[in-house]
Amino acid sequence: MTETIRIENNTFIMHCYGALFWKEKSFLIISDVHLGKVSHFRKHGAAVPQSAIHKNFELLSDVIDYFKPDHVCFLGDLFHSSINNEWQLFENWVATINSQILLVIGNHDIISPVKYEALHIKLASEIIIDNFLFTHHPEEREKFYNFSGHIHPAIKLKGSGRQILKLACFFCSKTQMILPAFGEFTGTYTLQPTKEHQVFVIAKDEIFKVNLSE
Amino acid sequence: MNREELYTIAENWFQENNWTPFKFQKDTWKAFLQGKNGLLNAPTGSGKTYALWFPIILNYIKSNSEYQTKHKKGLKAIWITPLRALSDEIRQSADRVSQDLGTQMTVGIRTGDTSTKERASQKKNMPDLLITTPESLQLLLATKGYAKIFKDCTAIVVDEWHELLGTKRGVQMELALSRLKATSKKLRIWGISATIGNLDQAREVLLGTESKALENSVLIKAKLNKKITVKSVIPKKMETFPWRGHLGLHLLEDIIPIINTSKTTLLFTNTRSQCEIWFQKILESHPEFAGEIAMHHGSINKETRLWVEQAIRNSSLKAVVCTSSLDLGVDFAPVETVIQIGGPKGVARFLQRAGRSGHRPGKESVIYFLPTHAIELIEASALQQAVKHTVVEDRMPYLSSYDVLLQYLTTLAISDGFYPNEIYDEVVKTFCYQALTKEEWQWLLNFVVMGSQSLQTYDEYKKVEIEEDGKFKVNNRGIAMRHRFQIGTIVGDANLTVKYQKGGYIGSIEEFFVSKLSPGDIFTFAGRNLEFIRIKDMQVHVRNSNKKTNKVPSWMGGRLTFSAQMSDLLREELYKASANKKLSPELKALKPIFDRQQKESIVPKPNEFLIETFKSRDGYHHIFYPFEGRFVHEAMGSLLGYRISLLAPITFSLAFNDYGFELLSDKEIDMQQVLDNNLFSTDYMLSDLQKSLNATEMARRKFRDIAVISGLVFTGYPNKNIKMKHLQSNSQLLFDVFRDYEADNLLFKQAFTETFEHQLEEGRLRLALERIEKQDIIWKSCSKPTPFSFPIITDRLREKLSSEKLADRIKRMTAILMKK
Repeated sequence: MTETIRIENNTFIMHCYGALFWKEKSFLIISDVHLGKVSHFRKHGAAVPQSAIHKNFELLSDVIDYFKPDHVCFLGDLFHSSINNEWQLFENWVATINSQILLVIGNHDIISPVKYEALHIKLASEIIIDNFLFTHHPEEREKFYNFSGHIHPAIKLKGSGRQILKLACFFCSKTQMILPAFGEFTGTYTLQPTKEHQVFVIAKDEIFKVNLSE
Repeated sequence: MNREELYTIAENWFQENNWTPFKFQKDTWKAFLQGKNGLLNAPTGSGKTYALWFPIILNYIKSNSEYQTKHKKGLKAIWITPLRALSDEIRQSADRVSQDLGTQMTVGIRTGDTSTKERASQKKNMPDLLITTPESLQLLLATKGYAKIFKDCTAIVVDEWHELLGTKRGVQMELALSRLKATSKKLRIWGISATIGNLDQAREVLLGTESKALENSVLIKAKLNKKITVKSVIPKKMETFPWRGHLGLHLLEDIIPIINTSKTTLLFTNTRSQCEIWFQKILESHPEFAGEIAMHHGSINKETRLWVEQAIRNSSLKAVVCTSSLDLGVDFAPVETVIQIGGPKGVARFLQRAGRSGHRPGKESVIYFLPTHAIELIEASALQQAVKHTVVEDRMPYLSSYDVLLQYLTTLAISDGFYPNEIYDEVVKTFCYQALTKEEWQWLLNFVVMGSQSLQTYDEYKKVEIEEDGKFKVNNRGIAMRHRFQIGTIVGDANLTVKYQKGGYIGSIEEFFVSKLSPGDIFTFAGRNLEFIRIKDMQVHVRNSNKKTNKVPSWMGGRLTFSAQMSDLLREELYKASANKKLSPELKALKPIFDRQQKESIVPKPNEFLIETFKSRDGYHHIFYPFEGRFVHEAMGSLLGYRISLLAPITFSLAFNDYGFELLSDKEIDMQQVLDNNLFSTDYMLSDLQKSLNATEMARRKFRDIAVISGLVFTGYPNKNIKMKHLQSNSQLLFDVFRDYEADNLLFKQAFTETFEHQLEEGRLRLALERIEKQDIIWKSCSKPTPFSFPIITDRLREKLSSEKLADRIKRMTAILMKK
């Protein structure tokens, strides 16, 4: 269900839902939830199943229950587009959460900051804690280890008998980690690792470190 | 004017042109003027256009005795063509007749190529005769006040109906006709079809099941005895001829003399990429043909295509490499020879292509068949038999296509709105929706209004609204606009426009291919080497390049299957080979291959079913040879794979071709166990097949079209710089969401039914399994790939099936590192 990794002498726990927990700081990191996407489609005449909406909130609550963090930090693209009725559901959900919520603004986050601030959510274009840099877009900055989202990373696995699998993943290098998209109905983009990478794939309710080969 | 006088007008016109009308033409005139509907079975180039234009014009003359001086305005007839490229040709012949008879009738074209200005002026003042496509007709139904446009229409002719039948565009046509029957009281409906196996059914689909229109209809067959000669291009040295491949370039030099000795030659290829490659390669090895050969396929821009078509008529070209884009319509008299490269997979298509040569009545048609790999020579031999006995396949019409119906309902809602009871009565009289229940109808109405089956407070779904008097109507302009764009994409693939950076349209290309290119990459398209610069606003920007490349765009849909009839013939040819009797020249040429096959394994006899197993670097290969065509193999492979996966957890990758199928795994199957458990049994076949569908991805792929047609996925505005407002998604993602949250959705279920009925051909599968049950199963454990197995095991396009836990599989797999 989880997999632990040490980065610069800190402990980070990857959860199979796609969240990352920084143990020392009790800091939960979640990226690319794209709330409101289903409603956005429906508002424009594409009948995506409504039940998918509630699933996002259930998963968020579950993972927060599991780690009971002091802080929940969204690495951007929390909301898919302009405001719609899902915002109300989000407000209701926020009321049930005891942790401090932070949002690093992503390219999709076009809802007014005032709305977030009214819910006591802190907004930032990036966050720096110790040697760690939290951004929406992946970034290489000297002396910092970067956590980001945006990409919705996935990886292709191959096996004997011409087997192929494509799975969402945590994509890590020596200087950065790209988190998978947390949301339902979000899609993925396939990345190709090099020898320097470490990749952890999500397979339903389990998480695995991937073998890399030439 | 009475009927005899009208005939005289027509016959005089024929006489003036030194022609005599055929019997089928006169029969059609008579039936039409009697007010009948019908289906005319006549090949291209037989004068079928005159069979129907004449009575349409004569009917006008009959109703307007002062036709030469006084013009009665308004739409009188619609001519539907599946390919807009054909519309100009049809217009010319229509113009000619109406002018020669001095009727003052006007002829207009309305397709995707028609300018906005022209369309607007048509709307104000419709031409008397309108030539259009099924999509453009739907768009007319999306126009406010459409009923008035069609009020006095007396005829609708659906040309090349066999091409539409068995496609969702055909369903679109059925729906449009159901509406026109109500708006145009004097409407006659006529279809024109090439020869297919199920002509009677074709008529029923066109006119509606148990309808009055069907009662009052005729089937007219043009009996034109045309001699068709099939010649195979047989490799001189079979030893060096490849066992696999689909290009056929090994035999390039063999066709040069054919091209040289004939006036104009058409080379039919099965895919657009194959077309591009052949064109390039001929020019490379024979630069002397420069300027004398051309290329024609559906992705090339319209001007080039028209130019090529005109050049064929002028006999200014030696050869044209083409795809099915030249299958239909357009009369090319100068074409003397046709070459088919690779298996045509269907007799009807092969015959139609053969008919492109010697296009004048009475002339002999010659078609050469060029095999792309050794085993295809068996197909060549079977084709000879098929042509000899005129064995033609059926085109299977769709049933209960909810996606097309949803699209249609939205179409009606954006024009004048509709009342459900009225439309329901029309829809259930069509062939496609004859089994539509009231419950399903209500489901569909709920879907367009609420986007689901129940209303939830926070939901903002918006599409069709119900007005106070119960009329279903779209009032949102954005939704209406998006819907209009979507109508044309019923055969849709995400296509991007290819343009020079400085402007100049070259053609369209699938997004799938472009996504693999990086800036600076060179690819071949429309016979040119192009450098990829960027994608912007659904356009691919390119510049010319002198660099060489082997990247050629691939287009989907290149994979066709054998019909049941063709598969029968194929097996017969194979059995002849195993008996070594009555061998055709093709089979004789294959002797070294058969010898090799016999040495490594066997060439099966009529009472034998062959299974081969061997191990290679790729894993354990298990190959089965039913010789039933790709679709049946797909079904049987999934069924058998599923049944085997129940014995023990295992993962397969499945490959199919027209000869057999392969189950490839990293584990060895215990074949004795397969035989002992009688896994080829027809017991529980249906439920096992259904379960296997869930285990593979076939339905997922079918869902793609359904999602686009029903408006769940928005494909974007073609060539328009309109922002998509975060509305792009893909059908794969959507499929997962439906599977997880709304598995009883009719559209989701449709993906499975369609896979069943149109892809897996359950009926044929049962017959094939029954046949295998009576055969002796010969299991050969081989040391290496056999000639028969080679084309299958090298196939890259594969289906997956697994009964293992994901975690167990991941542990045995690795990620491939990026090449530096």
